[in-house]
Amino acid sequence: MLAATGAMDTYAQEIADSMPSDSTVVDTTMTAQDPVEVLSVYGRRILNRFEKSPLLVTILYIVILYSIITLITLLIIILLNRTRLQREEALTEYLLERYQLLLMNYLFDEEHQELAFLELDEVADNRVNRQVLIDQMIDLSVNLKGEIKEDIQKLYLRLGLKRDSLEKAYSRKWHQNVKGFRELAFMNIRDANEQIMKSLNASNEILRMEAQIAMVRLSDGNPYEFLHMLKKPLSLWEQVTLHELQIQHNLVVPDFKQWFYSENVSVVMFALEMVSWYKQRGVGKELIVLFEHENEQVRNKAFKVCGDIGLKMVFPALVLRYPGEIFKNKLEILHAFAKMPDEKYLKFLKSVLDSEDDVQLQIEATKAMENTGEPGISMLIKLMKSKSEYKNYQIIIRHVLDGRIY
Amino acid sequence: MDRAYDILKYFVLNGVFIITALIFTTYLILTIFSAITLRKYLRKNSYVDYNSIVASPLAPSLSVIAPAYNESETIIDNIRTLLSLYYNNYEVVVVNDGSKDDSLEKMISAYDLEKVNYYFDYRLPCKRIRGVYKSKNRSFKKLTVIDKANGGKADALNAGLNVCRNDLVVSIDADSIMEPDALLKLVKPFMEAKDKRVIGAGGVIRIANSCEIADGHIQKINLPKKFLPRAQVMEYTRAFLMGRMAWSELDGLLLISGALGMFDREIVITAGGYSINTVGEDMELVVRIRRYMAEHDLDYDVIYIPDPLCWTEVPSTVKVLARQRSRWTRGTMETLATHRKLFFNKKYGKLGLLGYPYWLAFEYLAPIVEFLGICWFVFLVITNSLNWPFFLLLFGFVYFFAVSLSIWAILFEEITFHKYEKRRDVLRLVAIAFLEPLFYHPIVMLMTIKGNIDKIFNRNKWGKMERKGFGKN
Repeated sequence: MLAATGAMDTYAQEIADSMPSDSTVVDTTMTAQDPVEVLSVYGRRILNRFEKSPLLVTILYIVILYSIITLITLLIIILLNRTRLQREEALTEYLLERYQLLLMNYLFDEEHQELAFLELDEVADNRVNRQVLIDQMIDLSVNLKGEIKEDIQKLYLRLGLKRDSLEKAYSRKWHQNVKGFRELAFMNIRDANEQIMKSLNASNEILRMEAQIAMVRLSDGNPYEFLHMLKKPLSLWEQVTLHELQIQHNLVVPDFKQWFYSENVSVVMFALEMVSWYKQRGVGKELIVLFEHENEQVRNKAFKVCGDIGLKMVFPALVLRYPGEIFKNKLEILHAFAKMPDEKYLKFLKSVLDSEDDVQLQIEATKAMENTGEPGISMLIKLMKSKSEYKNYQIIIRHVLDGRIY
Repeated sequence: MDRAYDILKYFVLNGVFIITALIFTTYLILTIFSAITLRKYLRKNSYVDYNSIVASPLAPSLSVIAPAYNESETIIDNIRTLLSLYYNNYEVVVVNDGSKDDSLEKMISAYDLEKVNYYFDYRLPCKRIRGVYKSKNRSFKKLTVIDKANGGKADALNAGLNVCRNDLVVSIDADSIMEPDALLKLVKPFMEAKDKRVIGAGGVIRIANSCEIADGHIQKINLPKKFLPRAQVMEYTRAFLMGRMAWSELDGLLLISGALGMFDREIVITAGGYSINTVGEDMELVVRIRRYMAEHDLDYDVIYIPDPLCWTEVPSTVKVLARQRSRWTRGTMETLATHRKLFFNKKYGKLGLLGYPYWLAFEYLAPIVEFLGICWFVFLVITNSLNWPFFLLLFGFVYFFAVSLSIWAILFEEITFHKYEKRRDVLRLVAIAFLEPLFYHPIVMLMTIKGNIDKIFNRNKWGKMERKGFGKN
């Protein structure tokens, strides 16, 4: 900082030297009475005190002024923000406590149900308070099932909170849409389904994801129907979210092989993952077709699924695919063999162990051999005793047979 | 003679003035970009439920690699923290980098470890691995300890990369404390990837000095009591919430802190792993993997997230700070020199046209220019040719601009994560913003110059980071 000031000091001196002489004239008489002129004279006097270029001095003054104003404004914002946060926190805490009590009364105390309703209606008289109430009702309904959950939905409608959610769903702001979709989905309201459908291919990924979640929740028959319409990629994050939703809400599980030939690769990946999770075994032929898929990740997932669901019928196809596959897919094929041990393929696995130089491939082939049980283990022991000049079987096999390496 | 003096004066003064103006303009632009990015991030993530990936079978597998050298005092607690992170599919690989203390013995005893017949190959160069240890107790099945000959941090990370098997690797300092949800937040950008492959992600590193820590977790967050660490809080807040966030948005990010970063293992190994020829291995790796992707015409992203993910102890004495900053400077110099091909090379996109030139001009050259300016200032004072009123005006210009930038950083911290809950702490931070340019910045600048001198004279030591140890806070 001193550096800049020191250097700029002389820099300005040079500029000043090159300026016309009138810029350094000091008007000390100052007889004029016009306030504008008085100010201008004072201004010039200040500028001239520095014996520098007036333009440079003016710029420096402006930056200093800007910086001081900025930092004072920011300090005020920081302090006000603190106060606001504290106040909001206190209000939310108060409302949550109040709502909790009233909701309990409404749901579990028939005698005071109507009174609780009136009080809830009275407290939730503005947007902020209503939002806290909606959030509270959603939190509550997450952990509830059956009749009580329906009671919460009825209360939501009775209090007219649906209007708030719909307003948000149709708002121009995406973050409001997200909120609205979420609330409507939780409360099982289908009034904005058209709007939600439109957002399935929105460019905003958060909005798109929330629309997908809402569609899954609001669909009765096939919750994943929207996958047929999905043009944008379904990220792994979205897949995980959908999967969690499926588990939590025990949704209807469709036959996922219907999406195996989707043009959207991410949809195929998701379908494969779900086939594996729900052990949908009747997919052998379709999986073999996917072994030829142009996308290497799809092929990888198809190999994985075979192992996960134990489809031994694909072994001949896997053996055929192995030599031409990329490293990751070779590894997955060997994983599949390790998951469905079959001594008929020991010869293939031994050939992999002999021909591959990569540590991971060697370990996986050895694991697959070990998993076949007695025939595989005795073959490995025989290999351990043999002295090959090309391969140190002992190290590989010791690693695989070491039960401490999980 | 006079002519030569005039020419020298002309270049020094113009250079300093132009760089100062450029630095200020750049900082202003970065502030605007980081504000936009932060707003976008906060909106986007206010709807995220990280719990959905905690136990998801679909989530990618991770290997957390923690190199440790003479960390005996903290290693047990730190491993405990690493083993209790919120994530399902991960392993912890601790690399004992030839510690001279009893780190290995302590780990063996605390976690019931024994040597196993682990098979691996040296795909990445590293010093001899003496043994791989696993626990007899299945509750610690996630833990793998590698014992190897001492070779430095980069060497230890390469050893970890040779042994680990998962899709993504997380490199961390064994003496750092990770937030329990750090992995969830770091893995998210990788899981969100669609058209571009995410090859690296980093997050905000916070300062743990004076915080209350128990069982390897931060219990209470306090602002450091001493001036030096407190000034570093200001410096880190500015660097992480303003600089790196903006560079992430501008796709010019060159550095993911060595204290915590997540990378695509396959890309790291294919690109050659960590370089053992530099003391700035974290920056060098990011530049190299980015360069690798660009040279192979592969679409990629390096992401920075503003969430505080990791806590670390920073130097609290000038001596230790000097060592650290000298190392950082040497690391920057080495990386910039190794990858000089990037300089204004449009083949590398924003990395070559924006990121590299910025680091060269502002992170590396700026302190040198600043130092030259100080020398000039001293010369003017000695020769009694300094215009004091104008000097004070210029001083005010630089000072207030610097302070206002720091206050922006405090505001960003306040509206994002406000980790310092006490109002008093925020006021103290504000006070530091006023003091830092006067008392801390000159020290750091001189240390950077020392780093340059160390590099010129080939004094290329890592420099020992003396830590109090979290347990003593």
